[in-house]
Amino acid sequence: MAVSLIKGTNVSLTKEAPNVSAVTVGLGWDVRQTDGAAFDLDASAFVVGQNDKVLSDAHFIFYNNKSSPDGAVIYGGDNRTGDGAGDDETIRVDFARLGVDVKKVVVAVTIHEGVERRQNFGSVSNAYARVLDDADGKELARFDLSEDGSANTSLIFVELYRGPQGDIKVKAIGEGWESGLSGLAGTLGVNLG
Amino acid sequence: MAISLSKGGNVSLSKEAPGLDVIMIGLGWDVRATDGKDFDLDASAFLLKADGKVRNDADFCFYNNKDVGGAVIHQGDNRTGEGEGDDEQIKIVLSKVPTEIEKIAIAVTIHEGEANGQSFGQVSNAFIRAVNDSNNAEIVRYDLSEDASVETAMILGEVYRNAGEWKFRAVGQGFKGGLGPLASNYGVSVG
Repeated sequence: MAVSLIKGTNVSLTKEAPNVSAVTVGLGWDVRQTDGAAFDLDASAFVVGQNDKVLSDAHFIFYNNKSSPDGAVIYGGDNRTGDGAGDDETIRVDFARLGVDVKKVVVAVTIHEGVERRQNFGSVSNAYARVLDDADGKELARFDLSEDGSANTSLIFVELYRGPQGDIKVKAIGEGWESGLSGLAGTLGVNLG
Repeated sequence: MAISLSKGGNVSLSKEAPGLDVIMIGLGWDVRATDGKDFDLDASAFLLKADGKVRNDADFCFYNNKDVGGAVIHQGDNRTGEGEGDDEQIKIVLSKVPTEIEKIAIAVTIHEGEANGQSFGQVSNAFIRAVNDSNNAEIVRYDLSEDASVETAMILGEVYRNAGEWKFRAVGQGFKGGLGPLASNYGVSVG
């Protein structure tokens, strides 16, 4: 039975699945029902060190950089409208391959051209992030985002990390920026060039 | 070498720092990185008798009642978390703590947290630590990140007497409803 997370809470995935070592974060949202340009949500991941910044620009994983240098974090492909049942985009994290200098993997979503198209998370319905155990596809945790009236165009969904006892954990964040990718990447130390 | 505690752990301050008299309890957190209102965390302290209650309302030490008998002194209000190291501090002079006071509970609240939809789970890198004021040596630290969740008020730790020594315990217990219920819990009359 997947643990349901609310903003600010964290859960031990190891407790739910004692042998878990690789997970897939599945992100989903509803197709736009009203008129206007479709919502194109893009998943991304940031492999972050002890200073709360990415280890390098190559550790910003997104549709144009699908795998981290160590192969630990992999982006699963770009869905441009939210069409289709189940997860619209995925990020896979293999904890066995993450180096000791990694503090956490931040999983985020940006609304592509959100600022230009005047779209924000306040208008996106039923956005969620869920964590699946790669070994058996079992859903371990889920975070349903309820962003009433949010003007954010980029959002940190969840963070994956090792807790003080070494267990694999996930924390629900649901916080972001009105400035889209620049706010998100800038804060996490990525040079967008 | 500072000791790092997890929730529920305790350490003897007297053993770690023999001759300890003045402790600076430091509270820190990161400035908000995401858009939205800054997190304004306020430290407070409650001087408690053996029954776990204050003697009177003056035993509630906070930004509007900073000095309690020269024993527990609040050092001032930081409204955003800006600045390295401790953002708010409470000084405790152990030799001046009245004999009937068995423990000093240190709490933190998010100012207007409920109104702003904020809770401790959203605050990054929050910690409480105890520093020996005579030589600035950090004695013990408790990082809240794992234990913080959906509340807007938290009892962070307690400085308490035990068999002739002073000890520190990491509590990390949240309180729903904020400072009001938290203070009432300790016997403070809340207006």
